[in-house]
Amino acid sequence: MKSKPVTRISRRQFLKAAGLAAGSLSMGVGLSACAVPPARVPQQPAQPAAPSPTQAPAADTGRKTLVLAIQGFAHDAMKPVLAKWEERTGHKVTLESGPVTGNEMITKYAPAFQSGVSPVDVMSDADDSGPAFYRAGWMEPLDEVIPQETWDDFPESFKQQIEVWHSFEGKRYRVPHEFAIGYTFYRKDWFDERKIEPPKTWDEVVAIGKEFTNPPVFGTMEALIKPGLAFVYMAYLAAQSGGNLFAFDDATAKAFQFAYDLIHTHKIMPETTLSMDYTQQNEEYMKDHVAFMRQWPFFWDVARGNKDWYKEGRAEIALPPAGPAGAKSWWGGWGFSVPKFAPNKPEALDLIAFITNNENAPILAKGQSWFVMPRKSIMAVMGNEGLAVHMQRYAEANVPSPRPFHPKVAEAQSVVDDVATLYLTKQISLAEAMQQGKERIAALG
Amino acid sequence: MPARAARFRLTQRMRRNATLIGLLLLPAIGLRLFTAVYPFFNTIWLSFHDWNPAFPPQQFVGLKNFQALTRDIAVTSSISFTILFVVVSTLLEIALGMAIALILNRAFFGRGAVRAVNLIPWAIPMVVAAVGFRWMYDTQYGIINDLLHRTIGVKVPWLVDFWGARAAVIATNVWKSTPFVGLVLLAALQGIPQDLYEAGRVDGTNRISAFFYITLPLIMPQIVTIGLFMVVWQLAAFDLVFAMTGGGPGFATQVLAYRIYQVAFMALNFGYASAISMVLFVVVGVASVIGLALFRKVEVSL
Repeated sequence: MKSKPVTRISRRQFLKAAGLAAGSLSMGVGLSACAVPPARVPQQPAQPAAPSPTQAPAADTGRKTLVLAIQGFAHDAMKPVLAKWEERTGHKVTLESGPVTGNEMITKYAPAFQSGVSPVDVMSDADDSGPAFYRAGWMEPLDEVIPQETWDDFPESFKQQIEVWHSFEGKRYRVPHEFAIGYTFYRKDWFDERKIEPPKTWDEVVAIGKEFTNPPVFGTMEALIKPGLAFVYMAYLAAQSGGNLFAFDDATAKAFQFAYDLIHTHKIMPETTLSMDYTQQNEEYMKDHVAFMRQWPFFWDVARGNKDWYKEGRAEIALPPAGPAGAKSWWGGWGFSVPKFAPNKPEALDLIAFITNNENAPILAKGQSWFVMPRKSIMAVMGNEGLAVHMQRYAEANVPSPRPFHPKVAEAQSVVDDVATLYLTKQISLAEAMQQGKERIAALG
Repeated sequence: MPARAARFRLTQRMRRNATLIGLLLLPAIGLRLFTAVYPFFNTIWLSFHDWNPAFPPQQFVGLKNFQALTRDIAVTSSISFTILFVVVSTLLEIALGMAIALILNRAFFGRGAVRAVNLIPWAIPMVVAAVGFRWMYDTQYGIINDLLHRTIGVKVPWLVDFWGARAAVIATNVWKSTPFVGLVLLAALQGIPQDLYEAGRVDGTNRISAFFYITLPLIMPQIVTIGLFMVVWQLAAFDLVFAMTGGGPGFATQVLAYRIYQVAFMALNFGYASAISMVLFVVVGVASVIGLALFRKVEVSL
């Protein structure tokens, strides 16, 4: 009997074959995955699927659970409005704590959106992340979902910002729910004691700052740690100097020089601000170490929430000081949007229309100062109380200035951040800072 | 004939075994392919492309990304600090780890408790340590400056000064990682036979010469191994810088991994981020080759 020839497979041969197969497979998968994604097709605006507020929910639709992602501190304010929507539609909304910065928004959601899925139905989205999301085609246009009366509720001065920061190629993707402007908080009790007014010009910032500075007490303070916070302050000063921040022009150079002088020449702002975040800055203020400072609106509630420290007059708001271009402060903020891949998109579109309408915007604003905006409906209800008074005052004084825009916003802001901290920590000169800023912005294309 | 039949049966069994082995290995190979090989080749592929999902389409740009990074001050600064961070951290960790291991290897009352306490920094999450140290290094009210001020009357703007920030970041990293190195070296010390020390004592060695002529040569393979491990591990350091300084002031404490994160996940510039990743890959590769060569040399010399 003759046996068949036997083919022996050695371990080496097996490993070779397996390796070859694995390599081919990985290359195949790699190449296919690296294929250029299909070009964006202009989308038809989605229609609101749910009935109008006066209609009952459709009987044939099953009950769904939607996820709305927004920063944790706003959840309580959202609940009454969401309860109304749940009652009207029969659906349920789960609140999820959303990221607290635009950078975190991108880090958290971009991988999901890139894969064509979304963990949320409606989200509160930042200026730093929103434009990237719309450009990538990951968001649902809202023009036909949000009624015109909602858009008309925003003041005229908002229009430009909405067109630039909330829209792309003529379509709107985000409804603002926050009006974040840098307010000048000051110790009215200290100023009254000395019978002086808060600074109205850059010169007065220096003069009054010197009067108060006696370490550990400083005239003013600003959190400037990377990433992001140096940009915020430089954009604020550039608005006052009339600079085109991303052009690194002469007026922007004045803003940089002023910040440098506050820290190193006049020493009315401590050098340590360069490593501070907002929590540290606020702590310093509430430890009675700061006479006046720029801060976001949230500090209004933070100061008043510190029951042990807060007394009337300790955190009042003044108009910002005027630089060469006037008393300005840029504004931006968060807004609601719906991802294109929202698991319950028709319901999500109805929900976003509901929570942003003129009836519910004031309810949100009453619940949390983060939602206070100069919308007509909100001002009609809250115009005489709290932060809204100062918001109107700022608007009447023509303080709000548009947030500096660049198509590659995150990268451009990062350039400002880098260059500003290099200059403010004396690693490069002002001329080098402006030159480096120009070159790096140009390299962004 | 029986021998041939037996060989045939054996061959059949071997073939069946090979198939079984192949099937059993497949999940592990598949996992590695999709979690290591595919991302690696995809990163190489992307590094030759201009790819930002917010600015489609994806375009082949050849070496443009690599040319750009040679002119990018953020990248060149990151490379220099990454190398400094890794080299200084590793040397300090080995030196201090050795000191800790030598102390913990001696018999004294409460040694068990001291060994446990030694591990506390290692057990603290890096982000928690980073934020804690940021507050401790604060010029105004940080405990480190407070102690310096009380003892020698100076205050150092640690996180604002170029070299101060670098020193602070490296010191925090060393504080966090040294206990682990100490633990590994302690295990190595415990493997040295006591007879050698006794023989050395007969030959007239003192403690210092015993350390240099007996202890150090015998644990050198472990030192090289842990050194190589720490180098590769720390080349990918991200969380410390992210939470402590954000890479600042300027680029003073920016490491490559953090720069990659910024470009990829804050700017969505995947093409350029892939090119920087390739640089990091080369740096890790060179470090590994040097480490392995050193390891072989040490092995041979023993």
